[in-house]
Amino acid sequence: MKKKLVSAIACMTVAASTLVGCTGSSAPADTAAPAETQTETPAAETKTEETKTEETASGDKVTLSIYTQYADDDTKVPYDYAVEQLKEAYPNVELNLIVQAQDDGQTLKTLAATGQLPDIYQASTDLINTFRESNQIMVLNDVAQSTGFLDKLYDANKDLAYAEDGNIYAFPFSGQEYVLWYYNKALFEENGLEVPKTYDDLLNCIEVFKGKGITPLALFGQEGWNTAAAYDVIATRYATGGIKALDEGTASVTDEGYVEAAKMMEKLVAAGLYQEDATTTNYDQASQKFLSGEAAMFINGQWYIEDATKELGDNVDWMFYPAADEASYEAGKAAFSGGGSASGFAVNPDSENAALAAEVAEFITEKYCEAKVMYRHNPLVALDTGKEPDSEYPAMMKKLSDTLPTITSTTKFTWGLTNSTFNDAIQSESQGLVSGQFTADEFVENVADAQ
Amino acid sequence: MKKYMGNKLAIFLFVVPALAVFLIFDFIPIIQVFAYSFTDWNGLTIPNFTGLKNYLELFGDRVFYTSNRNQLIFAVIITVYQMFFATVFAITISDKKMKGRKFLRVAYFIPVILSVTVVCQLWGAILSGEGLLNKLFEAFGSDFRQNWLGDRYKAIYVIAFVNAWQWMGYQFALIVAGIKSIPSDYYEAARIDGCSNVKAHMKITIPLLAETYKFCLIISLTGGIKAFTEMNILTGGGPNKSTFTLTYMMYNAAFKKSNYGYGLAAASIMVIECMLIMLVINFIFREKDQKKEEERSRRKRSA
Amino acid sequence: MHNEGKKSILHYVFVAFCWIYAAFSLYPLIWMLFYSFKTNQEIFVTNPFGFPWPLHYENYITAWTKYDVPLYFLNSLLVSVGTVALTIFCALLFSYATSRMVWKGRTFTRLFLGLGMFIPVQAIMIPVVKVVQNFHLMGTRWSLIFPYIAINLAFSCMVYYGFFKGIPMELEEAACMDGATIYQTFFMIIEPLVRPATVTLIIYIFLNAWNEFILANVVVGSIPALKTLPLGVLFFQGEFTTDWGGMGATMVIASFPAIIVYSIFSEQVESAMTIGGAVKG
Repeated sequence: MKKKLVSAIACMTVAASTLVGCTGSSAPADTAAPAETQTETPAAETKTEETKTEETASGDKVTLSIYTQYADDDTKVPYDYAVEQLKEAYPNVELNLIVQAQDDGQTLKTLAATGQLPDIYQASTDLINTFRESNQIMVLNDVAQSTGFLDKLYDANKDLAYAEDGNIYAFPFSGQEYVLWYYNKALFEENGLEVPKTYDDLLNCIEVFKGKGITPLALFGQEGWNTAAAYDVIATRYATGGIKALDEGTASVTDEGYVEAAKMMEKLVAAGLYQEDATTTNYDQASQKFLSGEAAMFINGQWYIEDATKELGDNVDWMFYPAADEASYEAGKAAFSGGGSASGFAVNPDSENAALAAEVAEFITEKYCEAKVMYRHNPLVALDTGKEPDSEYPAMMKKLSDTLPTITSTTKFTWGLTNSTFNDAIQSESQGLVSGQFTADEFVENVADAQ
Repeated sequence: MKKYMGNKLAIFLFVVPALAVFLIFDFIPIIQVFAYSFTDWNGLTIPNFTGLKNYLELFGDRVFYTSNRNQLIFAVIITVYQMFFATVFAITISDKKMKGRKFLRVAYFIPVILSVTVVCQLWGAILSGEGLLNKLFEAFGSDFRQNWLGDRYKAIYVIAFVNAWQWMGYQFALIVAGIKSIPSDYYEAARIDGCSNVKAHMKITIPLLAETYKFCLIISLTGGIKAFTEMNILTGGGPNKSTFTLTYMMYNAAFKKSNYGYGLAAASIMVIECMLIMLVINFIFREKDQKKEEERSRRKRSA
Repeated sequence: MHNEGKKSILHYVFVAFCWIYAAFSLYPLIWMLFYSFKTNQEIFVTNPFGFPWPLHYENYITAWTKYDVPLYFLNSLLVSVGTVALTIFCALLFSYATSRMVWKGRTFTRLFLGLGMFIPVQAIMIPVVKVVQNFHLMGTRWSLIFPYIAINLAFSCMVYYGFFKGIPMELEEAACMDGATIYQTFFMIIEPLVRPATVTLIIYIFLNAWNEFILANVVVGSIPALKTLPLGVLFFQGEFTTDWGGMGATMVIASFPAIIVYSIFSEQVESAMTIGGAVKG
């Protein structure tokens, strides 16, 4: 028995000393790491995040931490490109990538609350407004001037850079963005259907597709923004301001147009426009349904053009949103749902290298725009990059470019909304409508409460 | 003996490590949660004291009542499911005549080992509109297909089942460990008295494991009240917040609406609810404890 | 005894049920393994449940190259083992003092500590991180270990309390008569008796620490040298799309150690019991 006890205690001491030893040695191990592993392959770019350094004695190497997305091609390609370019322009700067979590800003807000905000971070409208109150976001007016950012910024995107108080808090890289109503051309042709112009046409399409066992429109309703967009594409047919006007308070959801839109949505849901389990469907499920031809239509941003074309080729296109009658359909062609949002790379003013971080943030923003144009075939970026894509734009993008000059009004994606109470309400209440278990009257009443 | 078991230094040394960690890393944060729930804090700025405003707003919030109802349903379902199956399986496994009992013991515990994400992904695939379950009903020619996770009223039951299914293994392991700590001569005595196996367990195992059961009851009920992750992955709280709980409300308010103070008010109510449940359970089990202690001292006296 | 035949039919039905339930419990393991070899299209549309063919083993390559798996693994292991050892140590002592020793306020102290079970991590996250900073633990593994101990402590103490309560008081009385100190009594006589609980708790605490994500992301998310395995999934979750197959591969990599720990310790439950029984006999 005694032996056991002794050995148990010995075990514990060993365990404890291992832990102490590790924590003690962790710091020097880090600083030693970066010197040894620097290769030119793109895979190594990601490894920069493994090699964290403080400012070490060797030269003036500076490591800036950056909090941004790094998961799919749309986020990886620009980041890798920017890092590569950064090495030439700022050889002394290294980035420590902190991959953004999809958690409604929980991580970033906690980091901010505990004084650990990264040097550079990707900030949404909501975060910019929150951090402005607590002075945790740097005013970038001067940097924007000196680096030539303002000269490159498209006129149409000026409002994305400036906050209400006239200051620049973040360098946007996305330009104006649009909600597109995608459809599978082949499926429509096979079933002898025309692209719907009115809701009556749409109801007819729903009936035909349902008869064939095809989901008319695959929605990823687990994400509130998609259901809000589904409401917005209808609402903008009745009141061009859509959810943007509701957010700004220039319109009320009890206005006739918005009520009618809710009623129409209720009717379309009852007819079976969306799949039955739409509210528990995630993006990948819905997207796969559309890409594999199990669903005829899909609502998503214009950034989906690249992926959709890759998979469906000529069989995919986008349509102008259907409306109550032909006249409003034609008139509505100029009013799109979606729009730009004041968001982009922001800088932590308390950073030790805040000035440098601001410059680097601007540099990265430019490179993001370039990569998006060149490799993602998305010309809808914030800046005039002067770059050409590495292959031709997809047909849907050309069609959108041709339409752009005629667009007279846009709304907002939910991440561009400024009233967070309304934002929360429109996301969940529109989801309620999609589920078919909440009435249009309930929708109007509850959104009005939140407005 | 009293002096022996009342050794002040020993008590101090035994209690201090746990208490210190608890005070620093649990209690201080909890106090802050309560304090901030009376403010308009957004997590970053200097909070302003707003009195009971958050609480009054909370009590007027439709979602607050949905959340409480959901928690209650959740707690009841997981308690009944877990305690029933855990007991049945634990007794079965402890029967040395049962073939393959070692294998079964590992199998029942497997869902606990997997991360919640994996389990929810699996059940999400089974329960979705075109999922396995609906297809099964179709295959049998039944039209009993349901929108399992998307129904405003029924989804919570389904989510509760998923949770109960995953964590049953844990209570199972606890009860198995409890049965093992019961000296086998108790059962032998019962067998000699002519008790059947089931009867022996009813008479010996369950009463002797009263503390373990009390504890299982507390973790199931409070687990129901604290539920969050399953909703977050399976339904995202929807449709239209129908599957919210107070933790979800807290999360939503704090991070989506930047209204931390309001979220912490919801969290505070939740902590109070959990505490009440623990006190009630302790109260119910108290009489038995006292009786046992009395009996013990009586035995001692007679000895 | 008069309806023996009927009883045995019921018995077989029951045994069959036990096995079906077991199969159902094992299925997620197989499903996860299949899943990790599929693409998004297979997972959601063409083949959600069947055998993956062709095998998309590149998911594992992606997972392996996206982040430093061995480093994250080591970090997870150190943090989990540290958490388990210290939590068990604290909880054992505390529960013994509150369940068997005699002093004023022991019930209150016990229930007070139970409070720790009820608070969701999301609610106390900001205060906890601030405490960690105030103790200058940031940048060390203790920044995770201490909060994890706090999270698991209340639960562990409750489990131990139940087990300690079930041990007859006579044991200490006998030890006292034999002249053992209270420390000897505890470590040599009482502690071995609750081994089944200890082993069960080791498994539970280890799993909790091993799978924890939220706190780890905030505390060590920006320190690459200290990141733990659950943070690996971040490399697969985009704003819109998620690489589910790659995530499956990550989860398989992360789950295997947990399964190994369980299979080792579940055997221990059995042998721990023999020790306990021997002492009592």
